[in-house]
Amino acid sequence: MLQYSLRRILGMIPLLFLTSIVVFSLAKFMPGDPFGGEIDPSNTNPEYIEEMREKLGYNDPIHIQYIRWVTNFVQGDFGHSTAHKIPVFDLIVDRLPNTIFLAIVSLIITYIFAFAMGMYSGRRPYTWGDNLIAGYNYVGLAIPSFVAGIIAIYFFSFQLGWFPFAGSVEVGLQPGTWDYYVSRMHHVLLPALILGLMGTASYTQFLRNDVIENSRKDFVRTARAKGTSESAIYNKHILRNSMIPLITFLGFDIATLIGGAVITETIFTYPGIGLLFLESVDRRDYAVLMTITMLLSFLTLLGNLIADLLYGIVDPRIRLG
Amino acid sequence: MKKKSFWLISLLLVFSMFLAACNSGNETSGNEKDGDKEEANTGEPVEGGKVTLAVTTAPEGVFEYAYYRSAVDAQILEFTGGSIYQVNDDLEYEPDLASWEISEDKLTYTFKFKEGVKWHNGEELTVEDWQFALETMADPAYDGERFNYVEGIKGAKAKKDGKADSIEGIKVIDDYTIAITFEEMKLNNLENLWSYPMPKKHFEGIAVADLGESEQVRTNPVGLGPFKVKSVKPGEYVELEKFADYYKGEPKLDNIVVKVIDASVANGALQNGEVDIMEVIPNQVEELEKMDHISVEETTGVGYSYIGLRFGHRDQEARTNKDDIDKFKNKDLRHALLYAIDRQAMIDAFLAGKGKVFNTVIPSTFWIAADESELNQYEYNPEKAKELLAGAGYKDVDGDGFVEDPDGEPFSISFGHYAGNATFEGRAQAIIQSWNDIGVKTELATGSLIEFNLYNDMKTEDDEALEAFFGSWSTGSDPDPSGLWANNAEWNFGRWVNEENDKLLNDALSEKAFDKDYRKEVYVEWQKLFNEEIPAIPLWENLDLYGINKRLQGVHINAVGFQTNTHEWYVTE
Repeated sequence: MLQYSLRRILGMIPLLFLTSIVVFSLAKFMPGDPFGGEIDPSNTNPEYIEEMREKLGYNDPIHIQYIRWVTNFVQGDFGHSTAHKIPVFDLIVDRLPNTIFLAIVSLIITYIFAFAMGMYSGRRPYTWGDNLIAGYNYVGLAIPSFVAGIIAIYFFSFQLGWFPFAGSVEVGLQPGTWDYYVSRMHHVLLPALILGLMGTASYTQFLRNDVIENSRKDFVRTARAKGTSESAIYNKHILRNSMIPLITFLGFDIATLIGGAVITETIFTYPGIGLLFLESVDRRDYAVLMTITMLLSFLTLLGNLIADLLYGIVDPRIRLG
Repeated sequence: MKKKSFWLISLLLVFSMFLAACNSGNETSGNEKDGDKEEANTGEPVEGGKVTLAVTTAPEGVFEYAYYRSAVDAQILEFTGGSIYQVNDDLEYEPDLASWEISEDKLTYTFKFKEGVKWHNGEELTVEDWQFALETMADPAYDGERFNYVEGIKGAKAKKDGKADSIEGIKVIDDYTIAITFEEMKLNNLENLWSYPMPKKHFEGIAVADLGESEQVRTNPVGLGPFKVKSVKPGEYVELEKFADYYKGEPKLDNIVVKVIDASVANGALQNGEVDIMEVIPNQVEELEKMDHISVEETTGVGYSYIGLRFGHRDQEARTNKDDIDKFKNKDLRHALLYAIDRQAMIDAFLAGKGKVFNTVIPSTFWIAADESELNQYEYNPEKAKELLAGAGYKDVDGDGFVEDPDGEPFSISFGHYAGNATFEGRAQAIIQSWNDIGVKTELATGSLIEFNLYNDMKTEDDEALEAFFGSWSTGSDPDPSGLWANNAEWNFGRWVNEENDKLLNDALSEKAFDKDYRKEVYVEWQKLFNEEIPAIPLWENLDLYGINKRLQGVHINAVGFQTNTHEWYVTE
């Protein structure tokens, strides 16, 4: 297994290398650069723009620019944000905790709801309740998160006043105080609910189908014959077996949750990686843009690896190597 | 696996580009307007209080005038900064932190600073702080973008090029007196001179190259304004608190919070009182006007929209414009194109009526603006447009319903417009339809609205598809239009070259023009020239709009913005 992991990790290197070419080309093919866009005629002078382009090397041939970027990147220098004028690393480190916090809370919400719904549906398939849950899940899958976000803000923030509609914390609270953490939680809840409740579909349906399938298996019949109670059969025997495919989702979720909240973070002005990413695309802040994309690609690959390793751990029948 | 990550990335990129396109391209980037809009004092002021100003893009967090880039950072600096001069409601320059005298030869300005003005850190403002700012910006290591504001001072270029250690033209006389000598006599030397002192003590020991990134600029800035930065939460909010020793008097409010919100929830946030004041766009107005506790203030500003017509190319090497395209050379054709457009109808349809038809490119709020009676009004008249076309030889020869040019060759215009706001599609179609209606065949360049950054690239590179193109400018408070319309100006995107044009623009900056009446006369002449030539089709000037909760009072709005008197703002509950 260790050998397998190592081989997989080594295998990532060419993949990441190829990804970097795509990321770099796509970024550079976008029209404009950080000095284009909206020009303020009274504050910008064409010579300065030229000077900066020259200084930042935007006038060099594209392969030279690429090599320079990759060389620095590999050495851990992710470059400087042209908009924020600070190292990209600092910028990302600053935003990452927000995004991870949101990801974890929404993941917990997804799991709680998906398990409850999946178990219910699996135990009573083709009933009213099951259809209702399936209906909800597909609606959730179909509604884009920005629509859901705006509707939720309208009802829960503006009409009912239950949740704040923007930001990650109340203005002016000192980090470290109890109020600060309560406020953080309060702010993260609505976006997390949107992300979490909209994302239950795959978990729920997967779990449901697996439960149905398992319930027809011999070991279940044996358990029934022994007189084991129905709830013990479902909650112990079947659930354990049905969790195997779900655990592997966890791997994929690592990348999806950090990258997948782009739209939700924007609607809620929640200052995480997603919002930063969108801003950097808008401002053609290449260094930030490319670093985040590389980070997401890396996490996707890592997530895949973790998923594969988890397979082997939860189900020893699957041999790796 | 590889496939999956590729798709993920490309999807993310594609999707975000799409969103980015939605966000960019808001017409007016600056905010300036005129007109006295002091609100009626309806309620009793209360002591202190907190006000929330909403912005829809996050601050970049560079809180020093010499380094900032974004409009939002500028708004925060308006609360925290102080300037040598201020701009009044008529966009004239008035003494603020200092008054000045001009020498006989008009080359040397002697500035006398107010005494007892305090920085946020308690230090007293002296001329050294200003000298420090000017020297920093002329330093070869300075990486901000505003060297052009000190360029005119004698010896600044030498320092920038590393040939001198300090700027020759700056002479400190005493703590409160300083003389600045310019390289050459220009009327707007003052307007083009950097007017923001920098806290020298605060920045002590930091190399110029590191200044823009320093803590002292980003999280702990020191200014002269009525409010100081209390805390910064990147991407989320900036909290300001009052500076009791402000030199114009203690501010009435205790705190101002500049909060970032998503544009889609702006109206809701104003409605439920979480936001007290913000700049709004025309399509928000209808809903806001229905709210009892919100007043929508409007004022004519320095932003305007026009349709550019391409006359030539720019030689990027030589930095000159050449008019080598004949398409729009015929003046009657240009007049016809203007008569064909019902500008008022477009304002009503696409700007909720919040715009004002104009016939030059000088917004009416400027003191140099020509009286409308001196200008041709070009009121909507498609019949007249057709007559003009016929008179100029543009006739439909082959019977397809569209005119051919005087040589009988097919004639058509490729018109470009950028993507963004939902009203842009309709606006572009309306213009195309207007021109088709008078028989001038017009097509949308590239077949769809163009992504904003790409559009700017195309304009800069004189792309052939943009024969006519929609454009907007926000000009700032200097009335001189040279930067946008002079023959060799980079941002004269139509590449209009006209001898009379440069002659008048230069004349208006000459020594004679120190006489204000004369200067205005010259600009009026220039406007008449523009109005007659129509080198670009003037559409409308934008109104600046602000949504303000009625609990916030005392906000004075003029062409330079809404932040001219923030120390006098107060709340009534």
